[in-house]
Amino acid sequence: MPKQNYLCIQRSQPGKGGKPSPAQMEEMYAKFSAWKEKFRENIVDMGGKLKGGGKIVTSEGATDGPFVEAKEVIGGYMIVSAESMEQATEVARQSPGVWMPGSSVEIREISTP
Amino acid sequence: MDARVKRRDQRDQHSLTTPKLAEHFFRHEYGRLVATLSRRVGVQYIEAVEDAVQSALMTALENWTIAGLPDNPSAWLFRVAHNHLMGELRQRTARRRILEQNAKEDIGPPENGPEIFLAGEVRDDLLRMLFVCCDEAIPVESQLVLALKTLCGFGIREIALRLFTSEANVYKRLGRALGRLRKHPTLHGDLTGDQYASRLPAVTKILYLLFTEGYLSSHAEMAIRRELCDEAIRLAAILAEHPVGQAPETFALLALMHLHAARIAARRDGSGGLLLLEEQNRELWDRQRIQVGLEWLAKSAQGDSFSRYHAEAGIAAEHCLAPSFQETRWDRVAECYSMLERIAPSAIHKLNRAVAVAEWQGPAAGLGVLEGFEPPTWLAGSYLWAAVLADLHRRCGKTQTAKRYRDVAFESAPTPAVKALLQRRLRTGSPG
Repeated sequence: MPKQNYLCIQRSQPGKGGKPSPAQMEEMYAKFSAWKEKFRENIVDMGGKLKGGGKIVTSEGATDGPFVEAKEVIGGYMIVSAESMEQATEVARQSPGVWMPGSSVEIREISTP
Repeated sequence: MDARVKRRDQRDQHSLTTPKLAEHFFRHEYGRLVATLSRRVGVQYIEAVEDAVQSALMTALENWTIAGLPDNPSAWLFRVAHNHLMGELRQRTARRRILEQNAKEDIGPPENGPEIFLAGEVRDDLLRMLFVCCDEAIPVESQLVLALKTLCGFGIREIALRLFTSEANVYKRLGRALGRLRKHPTLHGDLTGDQYASRLPAVTKILYLLFTEGYLSSHAEMAIRRELCDEAIRLAAILAEHPVGQAPETFALLALMHLHAARIAARRDGSGGLLLLEEQNRELWDRQRIQVGLEWLAKSAQGDSFSRYHAEAGIAAEHCLAPSFQETRWDRVAECYSMLERIAPSAIHKLNRAVAVAEWQGPAAGLGVLEGFEPPTWLAGSYLWAAVLADLHRRCGKTQTAKRYRDVAFESAPTPAVKALLQRRLRTGSPG
């Protein structure tokens, strides 16, 4: 079956979840590794974490943003390939992007002409 | 193919495998970094140090999972934590201008990693931090929490779980310790040789406590109990390698830890129930570890001192060496208990001696040890006291007295596992 690419946008609520302990980080590292291994065929681009701040650009010019006070911020992105939205959903549902309380992943199919 | 080259290749392919890190890597790196950095900038900055280390580990977690491991993860972490800490301290300087006056020599320019990670120095830093934790002005229970937090890298919730106490209590204990470290200027530089020598007993005591917290804990999860034992052994081994810790007490402590740890897996049955010594499958004992324990015990015998650790290691060694429960050299066990009673008087040691004497010379002789002895209230009300007396009386044929103690023992059993064990022992145990 042909695969389509999906953009995954991770959002989190700043200040939620607290600081993980070193032992929890060990666990997260192990879980992350297992997830990456399991879905290695689906992960096209691991993407990365996005730094805070930035610019919003229009034809008029550029302004600072997004603001850190926002209730939800985009924290990272990745691109996965999958046979269907269901399969892409499964990759994201098991991903580190949804582990922290208050975080979510939005999945959008990248349309190909 | 060379492992490193192979790893590089994998990284190039979108780094889709995340290489394995050593067991407890994050926790142990936490301990190392806190020890090293707080030696460099002064223990009074320990909270800033811990923040910097925490954030370096977080940065590592985020980067390594995506980009793969750097060539030297420890050096990478040190650099990130160090930069973070320097940034924070510089900001404080800007606000308060203390750093300039006080700490110019202490804080060198940010250095690049690997050369500072000579194994010897890291071990020295950990050891130094252990002695810093064992300040006599800090109550023992706060020392224990401080060591678990800074040296073993456990979080507050994890410490509370392991010590069977509340998170609020852990915070309180930790707060006391940190308050002391913040205030005391003698701790800012290196400890003196005298301080090392005078704190050694407190250091061995804290390691002993750490070990027994794990070994005696009734925590359901074996892994959690094992972890505390492993941490205690890890730190005690570092202590024994260094001149400041090379004393017969340290060697005896290591002996007793190994001789107990070798048998820990056999103490529970398949479903997590407690097993009596006589019920344990001795095949499950870790022979290699027993050998290590016996070597430390031999080493501890050089010199004149005989500590409680010597006595306890001696008892453990007798059990490890006995081919069966019946063939245990109970005379020697009883002798070790009476030495233990002399060095560290406690009613529990007398009770244990009575049990050993009963195996050696019969139940009547065992009861003889306890004759005329008034147990302290904490012991009289405990299942241990009642269970031993129930057992010895039953074996002497004094059924009525035995029954009375047995009822008390059942009632005061702290956990279902202990209760199950008592029911087995006191109903069906082999007669006299």
